[in-house]
Amino acid sequence: MLHQQPHDSAEKHVTGESVFIEDMLVNSQLLHGKVVYSKHPHAVIRQIDINEALAIPGIHAILTAKDIPGENQMGPVIHDEPCLADKEVNFIGQAVVLIAAENEEAALEAEKCININYELLPAILDIGAAMAANNILAPARKIERGNAEAALKSARHVLKGELVTGAQEHWYLETQTALAIPGEGKEMQMHASSQNPAETQQIVAEVLGIQKNDVEVEVRRMGGAFGGKETQGNHVAAWAALLANATKRPVKIHLFRDDDQIMTGKRHRFLSKYEIGFDDQGLIQAYKVELNSDAGSSTDLSRAILERAMLHADNAYYFPNISITGQAWKTNLPSNTAFRGFGGPQGMAVIENAIDRIARFLKKDAADIRFLNFYRNDECNLTPYGEKVENNHLFRMFDKLYSTSCYQNRRQEIEKFNRKQEFFKKGLALTPVKFGISFTTAFLNQAGALVNIYTDGTVLVNHGGTEMGQGLHTKILRIASAELGVAPEHVRVNATNTSKVPNTSPTAASTGSDLNGMAVKNAIDTIKERLARLAVAELTANHPGCSFHQENITFLENCVFDKEHPAYKIPFDQLCNLARLNQVSLSATGFYKTPGVHFDRETGQGKPFHYYAYGMAVSEVMIDTLTGAHLLIRTDIIHDVGDSINEGIDKGQVEGGFIQGVGWCTTEEIKWDKDGNLLTHSPDTYKIPTINDIPKDFRVEFLHDVPNPGAIRRSKAVGEPPFMLALSVWLAIKDAISAVSGHEIEPDFSLPATGEVILMSAEKLFYRVV
Amino acid sequence: MQETIRFVFDDRIVEVEFSKSSRFKPTTTVLNYLRSLPMHKGVKEGCAEGDCGACTVVLAEVGSNGKLVYNTVDSCLVFLPMIHGKQLITVENLAFLKEKHKVLHPVQEMMVATNGSQCGYCTPGVVMSLFGLFKNHQNPSRETIEDALTGNLCRCTGYLPILEAAQKACSGTGVDHFSQYESGVIEMLQEITANTETFKKKRGKQHYAKPFTLKEALLLRRDNPTSTVINGSTDVTLRQTKKKELLTGIIDLSGVEELRHCSETPDGYIIGAGLPLEKVRLFSEGKLPALHAMLKVFGSLQIRNMATLGGNVGSASPIGDTLPMLIAYRAKVKVRSLAAERIIGIEDFLTGYRKTALNDDELIMEITIPKTVAGTYVNSYKVSRRRDMDISTVSGAFRLTRQQETVAGIILAFGGMASTPARAVKTEAFLRGKEWSRENIEHAMFILSKEFTPISDARGEAEFRNTAAKNLLLKFFIDSNVPDPVPRSSD
Repeated sequence: MLHQQPHDSAEKHVTGESVFIEDMLVNSQLLHGKVVYSKHPHAVIRQIDINEALAIPGIHAILTAKDIPGENQMGPVIHDEPCLADKEVNFIGQAVVLIAAENEEAALEAEKCININYELLPAILDIGAAMAANNILAPARKIERGNAEAALKSARHVLKGELVTGAQEHWYLETQTALAIPGEGKEMQMHASSQNPAETQQIVAEVLGIQKNDVEVEVRRMGGAFGGKETQGNHVAAWAALLANATKRPVKIHLFRDDDQIMTGKRHRFLSKYEIGFDDQGLIQAYKVELNSDAGSSTDLSRAILERAMLHADNAYYFPNISITGQAWKTNLPSNTAFRGFGGPQGMAVIENAIDRIARFLKKDAADIRFLNFYRNDECNLTPYGEKVENNHLFRMFDKLYSTSCYQNRRQEIEKFNRKQEFFKKGLALTPVKFGISFTTAFLNQAGALVNIYTDGTVLVNHGGTEMGQGLHTKILRIASAELGVAPEHVRVNATNTSKVPNTSPTAASTGSDLNGMAVKNAIDTIKERLARLAVAELTANHPGCSFHQENITFLENCVFDKEHPAYKIPFDQLCNLARLNQVSLSATGFYKTPGVHFDRETGQGKPFHYYAYGMAVSEVMIDTLTGAHLLIRTDIIHDVGDSINEGIDKGQVEGGFIQGVGWCTTEEIKWDKDGNLLTHSPDTYKIPTINDIPKDFRVEFLHDVPNPGAIRRSKAVGEPPFMLALSVWLAIKDAISAVSGHEIEPDFSLPATGEVILMSAEKLFYRVV
Repeated sequence: MQETIRFVFDDRIVEVEFSKSSRFKPTTTVLNYLRSLPMHKGVKEGCAEGDCGACTVVLAEVGSNGKLVYNTVDSCLVFLPMIHGKQLITVENLAFLKEKHKVLHPVQEMMVATNGSQCGYCTPGVVMSLFGLFKNHQNPSRETIEDALTGNLCRCTGYLPILEAAQKACSGTGVDHFSQYESGVIEMLQEITANTETFKKKRGKQHYAKPFTLKEALLLRRDNPTSTVINGSTDVTLRQTKKKELLTGIIDLSGVEELRHCSETPDGYIIGAGLPLEKVRLFSEGKLPALHAMLKVFGSLQIRNMATLGGNVGSASPIGDTLPMLIAYRAKVKVRSLAAERIIGIEDFLTGYRKTALNDDELIMEITIPKTVAGTYVNSYKVSRRRDMDISTVSGAFRLTRQQETVAGIILAFGGMASTPARAVKTEAFLRGKEWSRENIEHAMFILSKEFTPISDARGEAEFRNTAAKNLLLKFFIDSNVPDPVPRSSD
């Protein structure tokens, strides 16, 4: 069944045949590239001495900022990020010197001999310090509706608070990698692990000072990315290109795990402040929230991420009066970057926690408060930024999940359990997700494709999207196969290559299938039109008594025919061969842009999203208040993927996204010491979920019969939204802690809810209760 | 003396030499060896520290019953000489050609069918762990599957399809094309292991020795007192892979069969220093329940297949998970030089931060755990950021001997609270002779919360450690009174 077709690389994955950059067989001229980075969070570079290192056997090049032939910049949006630090370093992990060596040993030896003389400067290492120093990245932004201030004053109840949400390391299994192969003249061929090959091409051209048409970037597959290779895959590519250019030999850089964790940006930490006003029922009248993000040392994508956080501060709820302020702060840390959800999780965590507080305050079930405040269908359906919430599935999902998860019964059982147990406590939470699909930077909502059909009827699809495990190529393959009516084994999706499809957008914002699927369809439609004309001519010639019409021509089951005369079929491969003989082109480009998407950043108004994806989850946990350990007992998820193009792959996105979110909410804590050194720089201390951390009972269901009108084959984007369903686990943990005080006292809480947070919070309640 | 090592690989005996012209040095890891071969790049480096399992391979050796035993290991931690006399199996070896068609191994087939791979980078390691599971278990329980896979991190799938693949693939008899060729492999392995001359190689500043008898091992130890002694090497290898240190002298005990025994005597249990912890775990089941429970959350299966109890004791890490346990058990360490044998109590053996009472001509032979008498209750607890495959932030192992309701003897041993595994002597003194009551425990918790001055680090703040430590005492008290309390959330 096509709906269940496995990943197009699955067999290669399980046999070890799939080729990642690190596995490519390059000739014996290949050099090992190494990055020497700053050990100080903020310092002036006084002098760099490389002479001793240059004398080490096996060293082919050592480069510093002054050796960059082009522009010393790799900032993707704002040019505020040097490729190699020149006069100053701004974070620990910032690249200062590049080494090309015969092998790793020589490179390590050379690194030891490089002497960088720094003059240390004071460093800003967290949002608090950045605020005190007014170290802003860009002016604050606002989205408002009604009068939040006034409504807060007149509200029956008001709760005020702060929430800290933590950073998160992407922990893609394949660390940042790039291979640069110099060609003739100025040509540079790149194999990059990048979600954005077009931008990799641009940055490589810029640092080398050459034209874009001299740089070719190819991405076969990435060993995971999750946003971490949307801009920061460019860095390692630029460094490899510089070394290849200097040595005129192929150079590969594959970051060591600890270096990757130290050098690259993470999910933005947020410090959020809020006030929320509501009535006795829990109906919210006013919400005022200030989102502060830790951008790190440069802009990267921080503005867009903050924007998405602001656009998701409402999550699934209608607020008549709302004021959202967003401010990004600069710190002396690696520039924080895209990570699945792109600010959405940080924005949603605040409101979900606030609603949880309202419920405790009013002694009601939080699920009821959520239900009461959902966006509705005919009224109360306008977001703070003026986009109407359409095709709202929240109520349908709530009803279904409430019953299939046996919410009510389990709530009662949990209360019984908690009354009986002194030290083990259980908790339950239901949380919704409404996630906007589209790049909020409107022009990025475009995609290109190049479809080649060969005379044997086989199809090679090129498109601008990249494969990072999410199954994009598998979905594209299914789209192409269905649109052309040919068997999937006759279709192949090529590695993404800037010389095949130029000027593309990153594969991000969950839009990969939506945009590229449409572009591929557009290319196929062009070829089909040509083939249909040819088919009419051919059928007419062969069956003179019949009349055939181009609009009736159908492509199905490897054949082409007029649906009025289905008996007369031309095999697809035969028609393709005929096309060549009749001088008809079998190759076409395709293009797509999302219609009607716009957003004005100054006024905070517009229609930034093509549509919304919805999901909902119920999670149950048990905590041990004596050790802080938690156990995820059960999670029920219902998710909206429209008409799924591939249910197996969509399920994988939901489960995988959710578990990644569980990591962010529980065990994945990033810590720095007081000097800005990353303490959690390897999997020894940075803990992503293992197989034993998934719910012991894990049920994922799709909402059926909800076709999505505006998207390819009525499907829906699925990459990011499920991540935020993990907030149900986070709040179930809070519910369990809260049980220590019989839900009388608001517990101390933050994100992630590590064992330490759980234990210390529960401990405090014990002593307040006793 | 042998100067090369030999193992079975790709259906034949492969010999590796370490001369100056060779690409390999004796401490080249199996991972780096494989990745240097064009046809074996399936195996991946994800972390170079045994935490992610992307480099998982299977080592088969002839077991005591004369059949092949299949063990998963992290190839990033294994030095080449450690696989001498074993069969090395990688992901490329699982599928085979039948009439020109590739036939996937059942574990591969199920990984495809369940969408068990997304990006594919962890997949070769996952497949090898599934293969190990397939060869060792039929219809494994969810717990067994989880245990086989906790050492394989996957960032994409959320593991559910992998769990399903494991259940489906391992429902049969475990027979596959490896079963068919087993006898041939055994013959090749026996041919290799028939030669018990010590492997010795000096290359540059590095000299590596792998003896196959205890006597040879003791001789080497006497003659090379500064060499590092390894067995599973799950700790020492990190000095090379992570700190990029050149390991100069190595004595590798992984070939000394005399250290890999375990037995029960009327008085206690004897565990050979070289017995892999997974074997210790299996041995301890039903005999030493607290040790068994602790080993369930010790490292991953890949680590336990290599790491040894002797290694844990010898490295004397303040967060070595077995050490507080051995203190609570009043274990004894038997050490030996060519000349003499000594038996040292575990607490006397551990002398400081990563320091022991072992002399530089001695090797750890075995650890003896005396049986407990009636009225004695031992249990252990681990507080870690993540339940599995994590080093403890705090661990506690406790022993209580009661006479009626009075505390006749008490040991409260902690890991992670000081620079060595340490006993809470003040708290013990307070409790000794008192009634074993909640009131006294709460008083003791207060004393305990002030007894140590732990550090704050990546794993937790000092205050958290102190709080957790005192709570573990309460947990022990509760568990000591209820034989079967609510399932521990770590189960």
